Amino acid sequence: MAIATFAPVLDAVRGIAWPALRRVRSSIPGPHVSVVRGSTDEFVEYRPYRQGDDPKKIDWKLVGRTDRVYIRVSQERAILPTMILLDATASMAFPTATHAKWDLARRIGIALAAVARHRGDPVGMTIVHPERARTFEPRTRRTVLEEMMRAVEIAAGGSLPLAPATVDAMRRSARVVLISDFLGDADALLSAGRTFAAAGNELHAVHIVDEGELEPDPRKLLLADPEQPETRRPMSPPARAIYLRRFGAWREQLARDWRGAGASYVLAVTGQEPLRRTIRRITNPETGARRSSG
Amino acid sequence: MTFLAPIFLYIGMAVAAGAVALHFIVTRQPTSSPLPTVRFIPVSSVRVTTVAPVPEDLWVLLIRVLAALLIGAAFARPVLVPERRPVARVVLADVSRGVAQIEEVRDSSRRLLADGDALIAFDSAPREITNFADSLATLRKSGAEAKLSPALIAALRTASELRAAVDSIELVIVSPLRASALDGATHAVRALWPGRVRLVHVAASADTLAPQVGITVRAADNDGVAIAAKVAGIAASDAAVRLLRDTPTAADSSWAAAGRRALVRWPVAGAPPGWRARATVDTAGAVIAGDAALVYPLERRWEPDSAASPLRVVARWVDGEPAAVERAVGAGCVRDVAIPVPTRGDLVLRPSLGLLLRALGAPCESTTGSSAMAPADMLSLSGTGPLAASDAIEPPDTVTTPLVPWLLGAALFLALLEPLVRRGSPPLWDEDLSEEPVDQRGAA
Repeated sequence: MAIATFAPVLDAVRGIAWPALRRVRSSIPGPHVSVVRGSTDEFVEYRPYRQGDDPKKIDWKLVGRTDRVYIRVSQERAILPTMILLDATASMAFPTATHAKWDLARRIGIALAAVARHRGDPVGMTIVHPERARTFEPRTRRTVLEEMMRAVEIAAGGSLPLAPATVDAMRRSARVVLISDFLGDADALLSAGRTFAAAGNELHAVHIVDEGELEPDPRKLLLADPEQPETRRPMSPPARAIYLRRFGAWREQLARDWRGAGASYVLAVTGQEPLRRTIRRITNPETGARRSSG
Repeated sequence: MTFLAPIFLYIGMAVAAGAVALHFIVTRQPTSSPLPTVRFIPVSSVRVTTVAPVPEDLWVLLIRVLAALLIGAAFARPVLVPERRPVARVVLADVSRGVAQIEEVRDSSRRLLADGDALIAFDSAPREITNFADSLATLRKSGAEAKLSPALIAALRTASELRAAVDSIELVIVSPLRASALDGATHAVRALWPGRVRLVHVAASADTLAPQVGITVRAADNDGVAIAAKVAGIAASDAAVRLLRDTPTAADSSWAAAGRRALVRWPVAGAPPGWRARATVDTAGAVIAGDAALVYPLERRWEPDSAASPLRVVARWVDGEPAAVERAVGAGCVRDVAIPVPTRGDLVLRPSLGLLLRALGAPCESTTGSSAMAPADMLSLSGTGPLAASDAIEPPDTVTTPLVPWLLGAALFLALLEPLVRRGSPPLWDEDLSEEPVDQRGAA
């Protein structure tokens, strides 16, 4: 039944492309511009012939016109293995009635996996959960999406740091998507991400926030951390004002930090926009931002 | 059971109801709801006042309610009301020297008394006889004269104690009923009894005979007291009362001691024997002797010597100080009067001085006899109408409430028990939030 659950997700992302943000280093042919110049049909430029070049690349028509020997240089395209890391800890199981954060996170994860696989990129997934953790190696196999859909049909819960799984995912691929609320080991994640992005890899941080976290229900006077139940605070009107200020400042700082680390940062709020728009903002940060604001 | 001050019981019930109501209102930490971003909320503690559907801490509530009711009941002063009887009797038994046969008084009283009744023996002072079934046989005739006023007051007091257990109270007076038993207050005290009184006559003693009133005055012809005695018609020769305005002699004292005679020493000037000069001479507006009262400004120059033998006061100034005293001598008595009679003015002609002379010239107290009570006095004493209803009798000023210490003790025990029970109850709220771990990044 996982396919039935996520069928709307797959429909929503139909036709969306997810180009790499920078030239990829892979040598396996794929959809993304590679750092390697090759002999494909995608002409890029002429280069004077040097000893050792393949004579088959000589453009004889140009020789006839210019009396100079030039070879055709074309753009190589390669795959970009993608790993999607899903935070399935207790903080994602909010609100308790709907688990809207976890639902949005896994829909984004499946949607991105579908977009990547559709373009021919190997896609893998790591689900961070104390008891139901799963890791899928980046693959292009047709059944990989179905396996992922089944794997994400769990309930979020428990407490577990994301950094180790993130580091492992970064070793497996050149594009990593972190889908989390970043309420856990954010500093360790940022440090790993900074290193990953500095190595020329592509990093996306998708920050999941619930509407109830942006505007907590004023009728609820005492609030507790689901991952640390002993942490409880009262939400009086003055405390609410302080909370909104602090939480907003933290989100802004988080966005600056991730962008400063070389990652793209997208804030996804439950129930605020259609999934397709969110995916567009992730897969095409500049155009997605224009379309969101437009 | 009845309560002397039921308002306190109502107050206790109101306090108990308040305790019940307060146990529905609890202050507790509210139920916590999950919020992953709770770290951004500043640290503080919270209590919420809410209404609980079921009272909290039922054992503590029970103890508090009981304590409030017990304290209210204690202050309300409960009194156990015994089973009521239709009628109780209060019997006033005359044991004075005026009674001929004390056995007659005993027999008459025994026939009247039953369980739950009260017996008061009286002469000049009343005393209640408890356990009269055994004590009645020990009643003895006294040498004092009977006075009804204090006996009636004692009967009223006893009736106040009996009123809670009976519907009506009958007052019975077993007495020779002599006139001397009455005084100026008797009728007023009798009026306080709200019902009829049964009078049971017993024989009077032989010496209670009415003496003749007459005074032999030895004084100068123009002496004011002598003139007043003649005006009052009580001057007599060779009377049992001799009034001396001059210096008394030994023969006068011997004369008084030899028989039932009274020697009245009333010097014209100077202090009577056994009197000394007052530190300050003042004026009194009136002098009273028995039923006689002389209202006239008179100099007060002397006072009785306190070292003298006990005296009986026969006349007093208006402020209560003695004006004339009597001392028994042999079979008679000597009476010293320190009332100056002015030589000028119309005092000696006033009837009030004559009445005073009659009173000062009365026979000695020890030999005083009395005539039978006048029929009108008897009718007034007995009265008509029904018995005295218990509701018409004033309740006692002080009522013993033996239950109060027990109630207060029980309330004190519960008050000491309450904190122990409360300590053993589960807390109404969880641990305090004030000590929280330091917030993580972003919550500074």
